[in-house]
Amino acid sequence: MSEQDTRGTVTRRDFLRLLGAAGVATTFAPFVPWGQFMPNPSNIVPSKVQVTLPDGTIANVKTFPMNSSEVITYPASGDPVLDQEAFKKWQFIRLPAELGGSAQDVSAFRVYSMVCLHLWCLWKYWPQDGRKRGECPCHGSMYNPLTGKAFAGPASLQAPPSNVLATLYLEADDKGDLWIKPAVWNVNENGIVGYGRLLKT
Amino acid sequence: MVASLKRRNGFVDFCYWIWDGLERTVFIGTKFSFPARFVSPFGFLGMLTFVVFIILGVSGALLMFYYEPILDRAWDSVAKINNVVPYGFMIRNIHYHASNAMVLLAVLHMYYQYFSGRYKIRNEIIWVTGVVLGTVTILEAFTGYDIIFSERAELAISIAASLTNSMPVVGPTIRDAMFGSGFADFILRFYTLHVFILPIVMLGLMAVHLPRFLVFDVPMVMAIGGAIMITGGLFPVDLGSKFQPTVPPGITVPEWYLTGIYAFLRTMYDKFVTGVLWPALFIVAIAMTPFIDRYKKFSWKDRPIITAFGITGITQVMVTTYWGFYITPDVSKPLVARLVIDPVFFYTIMLLLVPIGFGFSYMMIHLAKEAERKAKLAASKGPHKVAGISFTGKWINWLIIALLIFQVYINIAAYNAALSGMKNFSLFLVGLGLMVFAGLFHLYRHGLNEAKKVPQPPPQQEEPPKALESPQSPAAVPPKADSGAPSPPPQPQVAPEIKAGLGDAKDPVVGKFDLKGP
Repeated sequence: MSEQDTRGTVTRRDFLRLLGAAGVATTFAPFVPWGQFMPNPSNIVPSKVQVTLPDGTIANVKTFPMNSSEVITYPASGDPVLDQEAFKKWQFIRLPAELGGSAQDVSAFRVYSMVCLHLWCLWKYWPQDGRKRGECPCHGSMYNPLTGKAFAGPASLQAPPSNVLATLYLEADDKGDLWIKPAVWNVNENGIVGYGRLLKT
Repeated sequence: MVASLKRRNGFVDFCYWIWDGLERTVFIGTKFSFPARFVSPFGFLGMLTFVVFIILGVSGALLMFYYEPILDRAWDSVAKINNVVPYGFMIRNIHYHASNAMVLLAVLHMYYQYFSGRYKIRNEIIWVTGVVLGTVTILEAFTGYDIIFSERAELAISIAASLTNSMPVVGPTIRDAMFGSGFADFILRFYTLHVFILPIVMLGLMAVHLPRFLVFDVPMVMAIGGAIMITGGLFPVDLGSKFQPTVPPGITVPEWYLTGIYAFLRTMYDKFVTGVLWPALFIVAIAMTPFIDRYKKFSWKDRPIITAFGITGITQVMVTTYWGFYITPDVSKPLVARLVIDPVFFYTIMLLLVPIGFGFSYMMIHLAKEAERKAKLAASKGPHKVAGISFTGKWINWLIIALLIFQVYINIAAYNAALSGMKNFSLFLVGLGLMVFAGLFHLYRHGLNEAKKVPQPPPQQEEPPKALESPQSPAAVPPKADSGAPSPPPQPQVAPEIKAGLGDAKDPVVGKFDLKGP
C-alpha cells in the first residue's frame, strides 16, 4: 500500500479495524451497568416510608412530645441482626420550643444519623436544660440539633463535609403522620452516614 | 535396616522422577537451589517473604474453618478460636505474627535490593511489581486486622472509610464498592478481599515478580518459622474488646506499619493530602527509583545521591512510625489535645530530616570508602584470614545427637504445656524446636561438607556417596553462586580494587548493561 492511497481516504484495513472496534464496544457495552453490583441495593429505598418509633407506633406531629428524641431504624430490613447496624440508626428529634419545636408541621422535627462523624460511636440527644444538644459518649463531640452541625469536640474540628451529620427529610400527611422521603446518599443531599454532609447555605 | 538407609530407594527414585518431570512445566525457567553451606539471608529475603506468605495461607485457611464474617459474630468467633478451639490460639498467633513478619521481611527485602542497586540491569519490572506487592501486602494485613471487628478494628475501618471517601471524583464510588452500606456489608466485603481477592492479586504479581533463580535455605526458613512462633509465645496477640458503638473506645494505635500514616493523620490537616497523597507519593517515589537512578554502578557507595535519598526516606519512616505510636501519657490534658500533633512542628521536623539524612549518608559513605581503602591496605600486607569454628566429624555427630535429644525434650515439654493449658509456653517451645531444627540442619549440612572434604588423600575411597551426590551438586552449587545471594559481599571488595588500580578501565566492564541506553 503506497502512501498517497492512505491520505484522506479510508482504506479497507482501516474500515475493518473500525468495525472490529465497534464490535468489541457493542459486545461489552451491556456489562457497563453491571457496575451497579457493588453498591448494596438494600440501602436505597425508592418510596417514602413512615417513621416507626421503637414501640411500633407511627410518629405523629400532634402526639410526639417536644424536646425529646427516639432512635429509629432506616432503612429497616426486618432482620434483627442487620437492624442492629449502627449505620441504620437515626435520632428522631422534636426540637425544644425555643428552637421551633412547637410548630405543628415537619419543621419541628429533625432526623440525624446517630453515627458520630469522628470515630463512629453512637451519639444521642440530651433534652436537659443547658444541654439540648447531641452528645457523643466517646470523645465528646456535640451537635447542634437545628442543623446537625458539630460545634464542639473532635468532630467540629473536621473539615466540611465531615462536620455535619447526614440527615433524613420528612413530610407530614393530613393526619399528621410523619414520612421519610427517599434518601439520596451524597454529601449535597442527605449526606453520607459516617462521613458527613455539606450544609446548604 | 541397611537397605532402607541406602540413598537411592524406590521412593527417592520416584521423587527424582517427579522433579525431572517438572522441567516440562512452567517451572522450567525457575531454578531452585538448596544451598550446601551458609549463605547470607539478605540475598533471599524475598524467598523468605514468600515462605511466610505460604505460612499465612495455610494458617489463614485453618482460621477460615471457624471464623464467621457476620456483624454480631465476627469478634465472638475470633474469641472462640482464641479460647476454645484446640490449638486455635497457636494458629491465630502464627497467622498474626506471620503477617507482621511478612510486612517486615518485604520491607527489608526492598531496602536490601534498593541499596545494592539490584533494580538495574533490566530488573525494573521486578522492582515495580515488588513495590506494588509490598503495598498490597500492607492492604492485606490491614484488611486482616479489621475483620476481627474489635474496637481497634472499628477505628481503623472508620479512618480507612473516611480516607477513601476523601479521594476526589472516584472516592465515594470506591467507598460504596469496598465498604457497602454499613458494618454488615463492610465485614463481608473485607473478608472477601482478605481471603480471596488480595491473595489472588498477590499471586498474580508474584508470577511476574519471582526471579528465575530461587534460593531455598532450609535452616533459615525454619529459623523464620521458629522466630514467628517464639514471638507468638512471648507476645501473644490480644483479642481487644468487642466493638460496641455506645462504649467509648480506649486509645488505640494502628499496627506498626500504619502508624507512619497515622502520625500524618493526627496533624488534623486535610485527610486526602495527609492520608492518601503523602503515602502515595512515597510509594510512587520508591517505584520510580530505577528510572531516576542513572548511576552506572551498583554498590551503595558508588551511588551517593540514591543512597542518601533512601536513608532519608528510612529516617522519615522511622520517625513518623514512632511518632504515630507516641501519645503523651499526661492524662490531665483533653483527649484531642493528646492526640493531635502540631502540624507546623511535625512538618518542620520532616523537612529538617532531609538535610540531616543527606548529610549523615554522605558522612557514612565517606567513612565506608575510607574503611575500604584501609582494609585493602591491610589485605595487601598478608593473606586475609577469617576465624571460624571448626569441629571434627566426631564432634559434629555428637552435637547433632545432643540437639536431637534436646528436640525430644522440647517436644515433650511443649506437649505437656499444651495439655496443661499453657498455650503461650507451648507455642514458644514449638518455635524453639524449629530454631533447634534450623541449627541441626545447618550442622548436618556442614557435616556433610566436611565429610566430603576429609577423604581427599585417598580420592577413590568414597565412591558410592559421591556418585549419588553428583546429580544434586551441579544443580545445587552453581545456581547458588550466580543467584546473587552470596555474591554481594565479595562484589564490593573486588570492584573497588579494579577501580583503584585501573581507574577508567572499570567502566566498560560494569557499564556493559548500558543503563543510559534507550
